[in-house]
Amino acid sequence: MRWSWLANRFVVTFGGALVLAGLWNLYIAFNDDGRITGRVVGPDGQPVEGAAVVLSERTLLVAQPKGNTETGPDGSFRFDGHRLHRIYIEARKPDVGRYGPREFRLYFKGENLDLEEPLRLAGS
Amino acid sequence: MTRTRHWPIHLALGLVSAIMLLPFYWVLKTSLTGENIFVYPPALLPTDPHPFFYVDVWYAIPFFRYLVNSVVVSALVVVANVFLNAMAGYALTRDFPGKAATIMLFLSCMMIPFQVTIIPAYLITAQMGLLNSYFGMALPLMSTIVCIFIFKASFEAIPKSLIEAARIDGVPDWMIVFRIVMPLTKPAIATNVILAFIWSWNSFLWPLVIVRDVEMQTLPLGLSRFLSVVEDTTGALYAFCVMVLVPGLVIFLLAQKEFITGLTSGATKG
Repeated sequence: MRWSWLANRFVVTFGGALVLAGLWNLYIAFNDDGRITGRVVGPDGQPVEGAAVVLSERTLLVAQPKGNTETGPDGSFRFDGHRLHRIYIEARKPDVGRYGPREFRLYFKGENLDLEEPLRLAGS
Repeated sequence: MTRTRHWPIHLALGLVSAIMLLPFYWVLKTSLTGENIFVYPPALLPTDPHPFFYVDVWYAIPFFRYLVNSVVVSALVVVANVFLNAMAGYALTRDFPGKAATIMLFLSCMMIPFQVTIIPAYLITAQMGLLNSYFGMALPLMSTIVCIFIFKASFEAIPKSLIEAARIDGVPDWMIVFRIVMPLTKPAIATNVILAFIWSWNSFLWPLVIVRDVEMQTLPLGLSRFLSVVEDTTGALYAFCVMVLVPGLVIFLLAQKEFITGLTSGATKG
């Protein structure tokens, strides 16, 4: 009886929404470092060193470059501290080929993104 | 036996409901897929649905700020409506000289569209120094004649002996309204809350006239601004529509029982 107000439909609905919003924000707080990691491989599947990787932001209207980096000896690359939620990633290396730009959409700004599938350069 | 007899009616009602809900479903589906609404043949089921258009809207405009503005204005309107309309409705249940004329005045004022009075309302609000403020946005909706009559009908359904007994005990009128009569008219209060909330939530013209600062805009103004800034974002536009619609729908669904009781209370009286 004392806690029966908790079963009120208004309390359940709005309280539930508040709890969900709180949990979602908690999840964001632990996953918004703005880290993007991945690997670039050539047409033969071998890691490509020194490939240029460009990170662009896709707004509702245009795409703007926001960062670039080069892959290491194992073909890996990393961006830190981005505050974007709709991005393009593009990779290229002369004489080897290019990848993308491919769009990735994130659930919130700065969401960590670990690309499990390598970016495979193709064409030249 | 009863179920067998009623199934054609239920089937017909279900079909009508489905037809009426179809536009809402279409808005929801488009907000999740972003597909062109003119595509032919139209797909009934969503293909590859995702929530990213909602994310786009959240970051494309200061949605949270607009939401807070709408909530503050609606809260002011709802509280003022319940408070002021209850007092006005109670007054109309009492006998006083000119009561019939007052009721006629109220009823005739209902026929004047708000667009006609918007310039005087603007001038009065400006004189009070309330332009570009929450209170100024809420002011014209703080008491509505329809809701006054809903309270009046509910109060008249309460036995007069109850009020007379309170009066004999020396209870003042304001206490009779808020301590004795209003607790007995919860459906009328729910109706007031829902109607006031929906009118305030969807109000566009008045905030458009008196709000100067982008930070003070409400959700309908934000939707208009979103339309003017962004042209080719069907999915984001529909997602925004859903985000504007949901609070009103939730409030209505939660209180629909009281809402319907409130609207029909007094209808069978006498």
